[in-house]
Amino acid sequence: MAKNNNNVPAGRRKGMKLGTRNTLVGLSFIAPNFIGFFIFILIPVAFSFVLSFMKWDGFTEMTFVGLDNFVKIFKDQYFVQALGRTLYYAVFAVTLTTFAALGLAVLVNKGIKAVGFFRSSIFFPYVASTVAVGAVWRQLFMKDYGPINAFLQLIGIENPPGWLASSKWALPAVIIVTVWKSMGYFMIVYLGALQNIPQELEEASALDGASKFQHFWRITFPMLAPSTFFVVLMNIINSFKAFDLIWVLTEGGPGQATTLMVNYIYNNGFNTTTPKYGIASAAAMVLFAIVAIITIVQFRVEKRTSN
Amino acid sequence: MIEKRSPMRKVLIYIALIVITVVTLLPLVWMLSASLKLDKDVFSVPIQWIPKNPEWANYSKIWEKINFGLYTFNSVKLTVIITLIQVLTSSFAAYGFAKCKFKGRDTLFLAYVATIAIPWQVYMLPQFIEMRMLGLTNSHLGYILMQSFIALGVFLMRQAYMSIPDELLEAARIDGLNEYGIFFRIILPLSGPSLATLTIFSFTTIWNDFMGPMIYFSPDRLKTIQLGIRLFMGQYSSEFGLIMAASVVALVPVAIMFLFFQRYFVQGVATTGLKG
Amino acid sequence: MKMKKILALALSGLLAASVLAACTPAATPSAPPASTPASAPASTGGAEISGKLTFSVWDLDATGYLQKLVDAFKVEYPEVEVEIIDTPSADYTNKLGVDLNGGAAADVILIKDSDTSYSLAQKGQLEDLTPYVEAEGIDLGMFNGLASNFNFDGKQVGMPFRTDYYVLYYNKDIFDAAGVDYPTNDMTWAEFEEVAKKITTGTGNDKVYGAHFHTWQALVENWGVQDGKNTIMGPDYEFMRAPYEMVLRMQNEDKTIQDFGTLKAGNIHYSGAFQSGNVGMMPMGTWYAATHMQKVDAGETDVTNWGIATIPHAEGTPAGWTVGSVTPIAINAASQNKDAAWAFVNFATTSAAGTAVVADAGQIPGSVNDELRAIITNLEGMPEGAAEAYAVENITLDRPYVEYVNEVNKMLEEEHGLIMIGELDMDGFIEKITQRSAEIQAG
Repeated sequence: MAKNNNNVPAGRRKGMKLGTRNTLVGLSFIAPNFIGFFIFILIPVAFSFVLSFMKWDGFTEMTFVGLDNFVKIFKDQYFVQALGRTLYYAVFAVTLTTFAALGLAVLVNKGIKAVGFFRSSIFFPYVASTVAVGAVWRQLFMKDYGPINAFLQLIGIENPPGWLASSKWALPAVIIVTVWKSMGYFMIVYLGALQNIPQELEEASALDGASKFQHFWRITFPMLAPSTFFVVLMNIINSFKAFDLIWVLTEGGPGQATTLMVNYIYNNGFNTTTPKYGIASAAAMVLFAIVAIITIVQFRVEKRTSN
Repeated sequence: MIEKRSPMRKVLIYIALIVITVVTLLPLVWMLSASLKLDKDVFSVPIQWIPKNPEWANYSKIWEKINFGLYTFNSVKLTVIITLIQVLTSSFAAYGFAKCKFKGRDTLFLAYVATIAIPWQVYMLPQFIEMRMLGLTNSHLGYILMQSFIALGVFLMRQAYMSIPDELLEAARIDGLNEYGIFFRIILPLSGPSLATLTIFSFTTIWNDFMGPMIYFSPDRLKTIQLGIRLFMGQYSSEFGLIMAASVVALVPVAIMFLFFQRYFVQGVATTGLKG
Repeated sequence: MKMKKILALALSGLLAASVLAACTPAATPSAPPASTPASAPASTGGAEISGKLTFSVWDLDATGYLQKLVDAFKVEYPEVEVEIIDTPSADYTNKLGVDLNGGAAADVILIKDSDTSYSLAQKGQLEDLTPYVEAEGIDLGMFNGLASNFNFDGKQVGMPFRTDYYVLYYNKDIFDAAGVDYPTNDMTWAEFEEVAKKITTGTGNDKVYGAHFHTWQALVENWGVQDGKNTIMGPDYEFMRAPYEMVLRMQNEDKTIQDFGTLKAGNIHYSGAFQSGNVGMMPMGTWYAATHMQKVDAGETDVTNWGIATIPHAEGTPAGWTVGSVTPIAINAASQNKDAAWAFVNFATTSAAGTAVVADAGQIPGSVNDELRAIITNLEGMPEGAAEAYAVENITLDRPYVEYVNEVNKMLEEEHGLIMIGELDMDGFIEKITQRSAEIQAG
């Protein structure tokens, strides 16, 4: 097929239907990745879907229990709490990361010198290893000797929070680290988009007498909609999947103050000697359904605004 | 980008940026500084940002205490291979999804998208059992196979290709190029930045992955650097200086990788986020 | 359009599921046919057993004697190759679970959290060693009653490899500086608390703490179960009140111990705390003595003038009663080379050569006797008086090996964290653990 230098007619000459030929060409592009994806990702994922209707300890016989697992998790106050915390975490992490990224991008995009330096520095936490970063932040957040509280006391805050050692402050602390780690990546997403916006637009609206601020919200921000869509979507997915960072920072504690959904899943499936894979998978399906709904709504909104 | 604005504003922007940069880098600086201190000095108040007597021995000590050479080699090997496979097959598949029209295309793509939102912990065990049946646990090959085909690669590349105008491809078809020719001669040269994005993304993810190697590699000869650090942290959890030194060492390769690719990377992320 | 897409997705999922269903039976690693080794293994000489073995352990650097144990084993069984599988201790139990479920676990397994042996045995993942024990003619009495802990429904699923119990480590320099007598072997917890006050000095970075409680809930709970009358399974938890009140008093009022929140957030290891020389007394397991000797030997700590005493006891509990645990060694039921695995387990737990390696490292073998105890307390670097401190009257298990013990223990860990950082008061704590424990045990 690769010998064909002509496009569509060539296929016809060989007596192959256009549709079939296109399908074959398309599939040949997809196949190398799809075969691996199918075997190593899709099958296990489908299996966990099936598992959400089963009772299984991971080793002995599994039994079909219908919707029991779903009924059980919604009756489990710890699941409901974990779900609530996940939403809390997602709302703050997504909003803060998005605004931080946008703000930074606007600042870096002001035609300043050493832009590369600022860009790289802010981006750097994104590439840093979670294990290492977790260890550092645990020290920084220490209640009595930690540099953060030392600083807070220096500026006159007498009773700085206990951070990771406090049920109230542990989740905000986790959110701070999350934003710190991911804002650089999304800043660059915005930065690229900003650089594609023609300069003339700003000059034109300046002539119209619009203030910079008005200009930003009325003209620039709407033009960034596709980027915002991408940033928010990726952030939502990331927050619902958040695990590693929390694991190295708090292991879900104190108490269950930072036990989010994936943690709940992990505790039921792995961090136990009597795994309940059915429960873990059912919780995962709920998580998946939430992400799917948010994504669909977002796609709808995006379509409406771009029309 | 030349702008007319008052010098005062410019100074403010610089100050804001410098403050933010410092705050962002502080944890990393703290890590570097702590890596050069004796354990008992790590938490001394007030903080000594530049240690008076840098304890360089911390770096040689970690080399003695963990098998850093082997672990680094394993990490580099796995990261490079997986990144290559992922970047190549993903961009190939992404072209199929973005620019080839055929029946069932969107369905297949939806299958990819659906798995993006599922946390790995959920299908970890089924995957492990499957790999076990295929005889692929405790081997680098198994890990390579399970990490190379994650959906996000295809998703990111497709986003980027969607922004390449169809008219360009039509013109090429009229010039007599077939789809493969178009991919290699037109799309690939255009997608340098996106490839850089995926490369960094993939490199960072694999390099920093710790759960995967933990589950998949039991014998010492297979272990990676993140796993090594985790082992080290467990056994020397009170020796902050050493832990920080180990963390710094693990950070260096990704840092180099990033500095090397960053110019492309910035453009790459930009095109991925923007379609059309 | 949307509908069609969703349908198509569902179909493709179904397809995947059907492919999967085809291989599901195999995916469930067939539970080992509960059969015993067909022919009871004859007691064999080293030369006849051969093959490869894997042996899973945690933190090998800190447990280096396991390597020595393997080396000693190879002298007797030159044809057996043993590969040690090392896992970070924090992840050991989880990885072991995944490995066993996935059919990828080592042949010989050290069980880190011995309370997990119940559920592993229930799933049939541990080989029944009874036939081997009988064939070998081993008298399980040599394990001082510890072996029966791992006998579930008449099946001996593990052999007590090591046993540990809590003792009190102290820094003599701090006592000397304060002019206070060293702790005695019949000290009560009330006396302990008073002594801690007397030897606490200084502030800030120079503060010397009278005592140190590591962050494990066991370091408080144990003193509640020490008298053997209660277990962490409840159902009534009033017995937890006294030890918690003491530790909280020491933390919040006397300030004679370091704050839990700081220790936890900083991930501070107890060995670092004791070795830094600003801790007077530390209740910790017997395993720590070996670590400390190593550190002294390597010149990595200034605390060279140290001592060991028997753990304090509450009023009404006899002196010499302590709390301990057992580390069993087991054979993976799916092992391909069970004879060699048994040879190793047998060597490690019952042979004179094997147990001597363990004792030489300062660890207490499960089959400890006067001779082995003497090896440990006479080790070079062991402080004077160790023999008397180690000679305890009774060892209560920290956790019983029953159903749900692991879940209850996890729950206690969560609530322990909350009461220690002051987010739960004593009554709230007792009420909450009573209620949650009942919930868990209801299934």
